[in-house]
Amino acid sequence: MPHFSHQNIQASSTDPITGFFNRAACFNEISQLATQSTSHRRLVVIWIGLDRFKRVNESCGHQGGDLTIFQIASRLRDRTQPDTLWFRMAGDEFVHLALSEDLDQAKKLASSLLDGIGVPLSLNNLTLHPTASLGIAVLEPDEFPHACLERADHAMQSAKRAGGGRIVTSGKEFIPGRLGIRLAHDELQIENKLHVAIDHGKLHLQYQPIVAADGSLISVEALMRCNSDQISPGEFIPIAEKTGLITRLGEWSLLEGATFARRLQSVGQQTSVSINISRAQFAMPHFPQTLHAALLCANVEPQRVELELTESLFMDNSSIVQINLRATKDTGVRISIDDFGTGFSCLATLKDIHASKLKIDRAFVVALPHDRRAFSVVSAIARLGQDLGMLVVAEGVESQEQADALFDAGVQAIQGYLYARPMPEDALLKWIRNRK
Amino acid sequence: MTPHHSALETQLEISLNKIGIPPRPAILETISAEMKKDEPDINHLSVIISADVALAASLISITNSPYFGFRGRVHTAREALMVLGLNVASKAIAGLVMRRAFPSSPHLERFWDSSARIARLSGWLAQRIRNSTLRADDAYTFGLFRDCGIPILISRFPDYPNILKEANQDAVRSFTDIEDLSLPTNHAVIGYVLAQSWWLSEETILAIRRHHDVDTLKSTSIPPSVNSRHMIAVSQLAEYLLQKHSGLSQTQEWSKLGPACLQLLNLNNDGLERVMTEATEVIEIEN
Repeated sequence: MPHFSHQNIQASSTDPITGFFNRAACFNEISQLATQSTSHRRLVVIWIGLDRFKRVNESCGHQGGDLTIFQIASRLRDRTQPDTLWFRMAGDEFVHLALSEDLDQAKKLASSLLDGIGVPLSLNNLTLHPTASLGIAVLEPDEFPHACLERADHAMQSAKRAGGGRIVTSGKEFIPGRLGIRLAHDELQIENKLHVAIDHGKLHLQYQPIVAADGSLISVEALMRCNSDQISPGEFIPIAEKTGLITRLGEWSLLEGATFARRLQSVGQQTSVSINISRAQFAMPHFPQTLHAALLCANVEPQRVELELTESLFMDNSSIVQINLRATKDTGVRISIDDFGTGFSCLATLKDIHASKLKIDRAFVVALPHDRRAFSVVSAIARLGQDLGMLVVAEGVESQEQADALFDAGVQAIQGYLYARPMPEDALLKWIRNRK
Repeated sequence: MTPHHSALETQLEISLNKIGIPPRPAILETISAEMKKDEPDINHLSVIISADVALAASLISITNSPYFGFRGRVHTAREALMVLGLNVASKAIAGLVMRRAFPSSPHLERFWDSSARIARLSGWLAQRIRNSTLRADDAYTFGLFRDCGIPILISRFPDYPNILKEANQDAVRSFTDIEDLSLPTNHAVIGYVLAQSWWLSEETILAIRRHHDVDTLKSTSIPPSVNSRHMIAVSQLAEYLLQKHSGLSQTQEWSKLGPACLQLLNLNNDGLERVMTEATEVIEIEN
C-alpha cells in the first residue's frame, strides 16, 4: 500500500507509549489525505479495537496494560511500511490511514494485522491471547472524511458485537450519524485546547472553603481550572479522564495543592488543603512515591494535605489500590471519602476505612429542604459518618435553607456557593483575612 | 495593594524561598505567553529579563558558551534571545530560575555547576550524534532537571549524603534502588514531580523518572519513547565524558548504564573515541 510522509505532523501529537500519532492528529490528517484520494487510489481507514482489553488492565495493572499496548503497537508497525500513518484513538483503539488501490488490498492488510495482534504475549508470568475487532471503510467520492472515519469506527463496533476477532467492512449505504460526528468534533476541540493549556502551563487551582456550622474554616478544596480558551472543568475533566491526561493533571495538582497548604501554614493558618485524586492516578504503582515527593518538594506537614478519593475507590479490591491506601495512610496525609451516597458502597468495607471526612454528594443537597426522604437519608449518613469518627460535609450548598436543613440533619460542615465560590490563592487569603 | 497585603506577600515570598520550590515561576509564564503570540515581542521580553541583572548575565553567559556553537559573542539579553531563539532561551531561563528557586548553599554550588556542564554538553552531543532525533534544547533541559531531586533530599534528610555516597559507589544495584531502601521516595521521582509542576514535556518528565533504569535503556518493549531514552543516554554520556576529562570519576553510573547507552546511540568504540576527541575540544574551550 502506498504510504506517506508525516513530517508535517507535530511531534507533540505523538502518543508516548506507542509512538503513534494521537486522536487529534488523526482528525487533522485524514482531511489532508482525503485531498489525495482518487478513483484509483482511495483513502482507506482501518479502525482497530482490542477485544476485552479492560481485563488486561484489571489483571496486570495499568503498567501491564501499557506494556501490552506497546507490544501490540510494535507488531502493527512491523506489518506496515515504516512511514505508515498510525494513530492511537483511545486506550485500546488504533487507526491506520492509507491510500489503497482496491478494497482487497486493504482487507489483506487488515487480516495480516489481525494475525499479528493474535500472537500470544507474555506478561507478568501470564500468557495473554490478544484479539481485536477491525473495521474498514473506503472514502466515497464527495464523502466528508470524518464520516468515513466514523463508518470505520462503526464497522469495528459491529465486529466487536459479533464476538470480536474479526474484520467488518463498512457498506457504503451506511449513513453516519451527524450528531456523532459533531460530538467527536467537540471532544476533539476540547482535547486540543487541553493539550495547548498543558503545553503552556495554563492550568491553575482554585480553592473553595469548607465551613463549619459556627462559621469557622475547616479546610479548602483544590479545584482545577483552565485559564485559557474558556474550557470549563465540566468539559475538560471528562476528556482528561478519557484520554489518560488526568494522571498528569492530578500529579501536577498534588504538588501545587501541597505547596499552597505550606503557604497557608506559613501564614499561621491551620487549614488543610483537599486535593482530588482520580482512580487512574491512585492505581499507579508509584503513587506513594509521588505523594512523598510532592510533600517533600512543598516541605509541608503531611496532615495539612487531604486526598479526596471517591467512595468506589475504597471498594476496589485490587491489590494495588489496597497497597496504595495503606501507603497513603502511612505518609500521614488525611483521606476523605468524596461524592458519598451515589456510588456503590459496601457498608462492611466502610467500617474499615479510616477517613477523616465524609463528603455527601450534591445530589442529596439539591433535594433539600423540601424532600423529606432525602433529609432522612442525609440524617442517616451523617449519623453513620460521625459514629465512624468522620467529619461529615455536604457539597454544593447554595441556599441558607439548604444549609439549615443540612445542619439539622447532623451535617457538620458545608461547602458551596452559599459561603464562597472557588477562588485563586490570593483571593482566598484575602477572604480568610476579611473574615477575621 | 494595601500595606497589609503587601506585608503578607513579602512574608509569603520569604517563606517560599525558605521552604520549597515554587511551581513554575512567573517569568516563565510571561515568556510562555509571549511565545504563544503570532509575533512574539522580543523587546518586551528582553526588558523583563534585563530587569533581573543576574538572570540576564547568566543568559548571556550561556549563549556565549561553546556548546551552543555560536561564533560571535552576545552582550545583551536581547541579543541572547535573538541568537538562542525563544524556545531555547525559555529552556535556558527555566534552568537558571530553577537553580535560584533552591535555597542557596555553598556546598550545592558544585552540584549545580556540574549539572549545568552536563546539560550543556548534552545539548552539544544531541547535535553531534547523527542517529538521534533528540533536539539539543530538550537534551539541555533534561540535563538541568535530571538530578534536581538531589538538593531537595539533601535538605530534608540529614543522612542523605551517606545514601548518596553508597549509591554512587555501588556497581551493581541501581542508584534509585539504593535510595528506595532508606527513603520513602527517590531523587528521580522528586525530579519527575517537580518537572510536572513546571510543565516540562512528557518525554522529559518520563526520562527524568527513569534515568537510572538500565531496563528502560535496553528494552524496546516499554515506554518511554525513543527520544526519552536518548535524553537519558546522551546525558549519561555527557557525564562520562566530563568525568573522563577531569579525571574525577565519583560514580559507577557509566559501568552500569554505559554499554546500554552506547548501544542505543549506535556508537562503537571508534565512534566513542571520535566523540570524545571532539568533546574534549569543546570542554576545554569552555574551561
